[in-house]
Amino acid sequence: MPMGHTATAQAGSGGLTATEHRLANGLRVVLSEDHLTPVAAVCLWYDVGSRHEVKGRTGLAHLFEHLMFQGSGQVKGNGHFELVQGAGGSLNGTTSFERTNYFETMPTHQLELALWLEADRMGSLLDALDEESMENQRDVVKNERRQRYDNVPYGTAFERLTALSYPEGHPYHHTPIGSMADLDAATLEDARAFFRTYYAPNNAVLSVVGDIDPEQTLAWIEKYFGSIPSHDGKQPPRDGTLPGIIGEERRELVTAEVPARALMAAYRLPHDGTRACDAADLALTVLGSGESSRLHNRLVRRDRTAVAAGFGLLRLAGAPSLGWLDVKTSGGAEVAQIEAAVDEELARFAAEGPTAEEMERAQAQLEREWLDRLGTVAGRADELCRYAVLFGDPQLALTAVGRVLDVTAEEVRAAAEASLRPDNRAVLVYEPVEPADDADGEQAGEGTDDAHEGAAK
Amino acid sequence: MEFHPQPTPGTARPWAFPEPERGALPNGLTVLRCHRPGQQVVAVEIFLDAPLEAEPEGLDGVATIMSRALSEGTDKHSAEEFAAELERCGATLDAHADHPGIRVSLEVPASRLAKALGLVAEALRAPAFAESEIERLVGNRLDEIPHERANPSRRAAKQLSKELFPADARMSRPRLGTEETVRRIDAAAVRAFFEAHVRPSTATAVVVGDLTGIDLDALLAETLGDWSGDAGQPRPVPPITADDTGRVVIVDRPGAVQTQLLIGRIGADRHERVWPAQVLGTYCLGGTLTSRLDRVLREEKGYTYGVRAFAQVLRSSGPDSGGAAMLAISGSVDTESTGPALDDLWKVLRTLAAEGLTDAERETAVQNLVGVAPLKFETAASVAATLADQVEQHLPDDYQAHLYARLAETGTVEATAAVVNAFPVDRLVTVLVGDASQIEEPVRALGIGEVSVVPG
Repeated sequence: MPMGHTATAQAGSGGLTATEHRLANGLRVVLSEDHLTPVAAVCLWYDVGSRHEVKGRTGLAHLFEHLMFQGSGQVKGNGHFELVQGAGGSLNGTTSFERTNYFETMPTHQLELALWLEADRMGSLLDALDEESMENQRDVVKNERRQRYDNVPYGTAFERLTALSYPEGHPYHHTPIGSMADLDAATLEDARAFFRTYYAPNNAVLSVVGDIDPEQTLAWIEKYFGSIPSHDGKQPPRDGTLPGIIGEERRELVTAEVPARALMAAYRLPHDGTRACDAADLALTVLGSGESSRLHNRLVRRDRTAVAAGFGLLRLAGAPSLGWLDVKTSGGAEVAQIEAAVDEELARFAAEGPTAEEMERAQAQLEREWLDRLGTVAGRADELCRYAVLFGDPQLALTAVGRVLDVTAEEVRAAAEASLRPDNRAVLVYEPVEPADDADGEQAGEGTDDAHEGAAK
Repeated sequence: MEFHPQPTPGTARPWAFPEPERGALPNGLTVLRCHRPGQQVVAVEIFLDAPLEAEPEGLDGVATIMSRALSEGTDKHSAEEFAAELERCGATLDAHADHPGIRVSLEVPASRLAKALGLVAEALRAPAFAESEIERLVGNRLDEIPHERANPSRRAAKQLSKELFPADARMSRPRLGTEETVRRIDAAAVRAFFEAHVRPSTATAVVVGDLTGIDLDALLAETLGDWSGDAGQPRPVPPITADDTGRVVIVDRPGAVQTQLLIGRIGADRHERVWPAQVLGTYCLGGTLTSRLDRVLREEKGYTYGVRAFAQVLRSSGPDSGGAAMLAISGSVDTESTGPALDDLWKVLRTLAAEGLTDAERETAVQNLVGVAPLKFETAASVAATLADQVEQHLPDDYQAHLYARLAETGTVEATAAVVNAFPVDRLVTVLVGDASQIEEPVRALGIGEVSVVPG
């Protein structure tokens, strides 16, 4: 039976509210009403990602995500895509270390169709799963890997740095795309077992956001999902806990066909969901985000040794997060020279902390990013699922920006001092292979012709 | 589980593409505004009538360097200060030069619009164009070029432009310039381009978002209203022509694990009556994973992660003005499957020409293209971008709103004719970025045009 909570806007939530419910089979449901536009977003997070994969089967969670679009009990072949798009909706699925999500954004009057489709595959995927779709999607995913990682310069940097940052055997040592050998080795029976283990209503959170009637929506959810049996076959992921500091610098030099030298590094940072992680986010923003960051000012504007320099944050809940440094060199600049400058800036920041103005800028940037994310029904639905699955409380999504604004400059300094140090990073250096004998008759590259989005899924 | 029949849809709530309010400031700047309740991040798009065509001979890339230099300091702020002040507003500012002109795009929380718009106005009114900053931007641009050349899809796009357009046309050359031309750009050239082509009387600002409590007239008057300039002269626009003789160019990348495909020509733009039918037919050919191309190449054969067909307006300034859109098919396939994938692709095109689209396909496409509009235009930025595209292409402000009605009225026969005309099998230029030693022979055997190989 659905159980409701009242919808009262919390302080700092920008007036957004969400209610939580749970079906008898364990499916958690989060609803959020917003009638500004006649659209509704459906988002379903399964609490399974590449961290649940076992040795020899990397990439299985993502390959399986593809199979979820190949039909189910009442949906033929590509029917899931055809029906949603034919109803004026958009859809996709993605797989990360920690979860797999599926989402549809629909015109309001087609919401029930999306719920029916998600329930059909949650309850009856195995009725349709066959060898033919397995073989086909294996090839598609291998081409996805080639397109996004193997056939682009620096394409495997993420994979290499992840492997350097988390030890062999750690659940986050490999990335969701998996290896070609493991993709080749996966069998139909692996896929079936994966579904039986992880795809259950009690291992998922469903959020519906937008122009909805909550009572009617809950009734539909009960009707379509309510009879799907729960089960407890799931194995918890291997423990991802690691010491707060790596304790040494790990380093890999890659000589490859890349257009310029590059310095990349991953710093071990606090787990997502903690105040310390928000503080680290602000530190990385001051240091390496945007055109007024310390690294941009130092390397791109003043030293002119880099064409681009910045920090990113990979937030992770079940293992230490990673702070991601990416510097592409300018002209003949040497990596050692850049590395010394980066270390100098990080050390200065760890000693002095951000200025008041830098704090204001970083908080304003992160606030706008949150407004962007919560400003669409699909973005809000995804965040509600994220906080429900990873932290047990969807309401935290609506107050996240308040927590970022609450962090002090001293906490930001302390976060940098604790984590942004040479003995807490994996370093990846790219050195281009010497140009061979090719008579370079070519002229400059084109900048803006990438005319359209990549393919779905 | 208990199965239930597929539900039937409820009643659609009406939705229409927002109608902007059009006006002008005393300095001649055209302003389009659009209130979107709930959109806390306001989007401002400014279109400057400074097309690439206007770049002086031998200075390709000056429009790009100028647009980037707009945010590198003013009479009141140094480059570092300007970037810092903008980011303090929680704003992002991008400027981008393309064939039709320059677009300056600001996104900022509504609460800080006033300050951010003040900074943008300052950049347009009194950019510093300091020599040392221009030098840095030129160096930075030179550094970017090898990265673009290394990227297979950008390399393919560059080659296709070179193949399609006459050598003396600006469109045949890289939008952002070549090493040779960028190297020649200095502060004087940037300022000269700015003075010749940037003025309020030929610019348009589009402001979209939740404008509750914002006195936009007062705000515009004290920001963009303070920008001045003369009237400017209308510039002749040369018609776009292209050589679409069917042929194949392989850009050699020894050892590449995939081949990047870009197959294109030029065709109708939004001013032509056929546009809605072309949109519909192109969607049926390659708009999504269940369109004809991916149904075979991806979902049956597994040759690719996805292949898309699309039409993208290059430049367009009115009916019969010689504007055009790039019509293209793009994607990547594993090296070994290159020959078979192209063979299948041509079979899909031939079958389409021989048998046409089905009514069911046309119906699904209409439902999708019309139905996704409220989703697509949920954010202020997406509405502002479309309104600015209309301005840039000299289309009426209600163009997009009417497009949906025209799509719904387009029949299967018209959509078929449009897509078959758009992608005739013997008038397509195919660029393949891949390993020539492996793909050249299989591609030659297909007989889809003369094959040549150029270095990567």
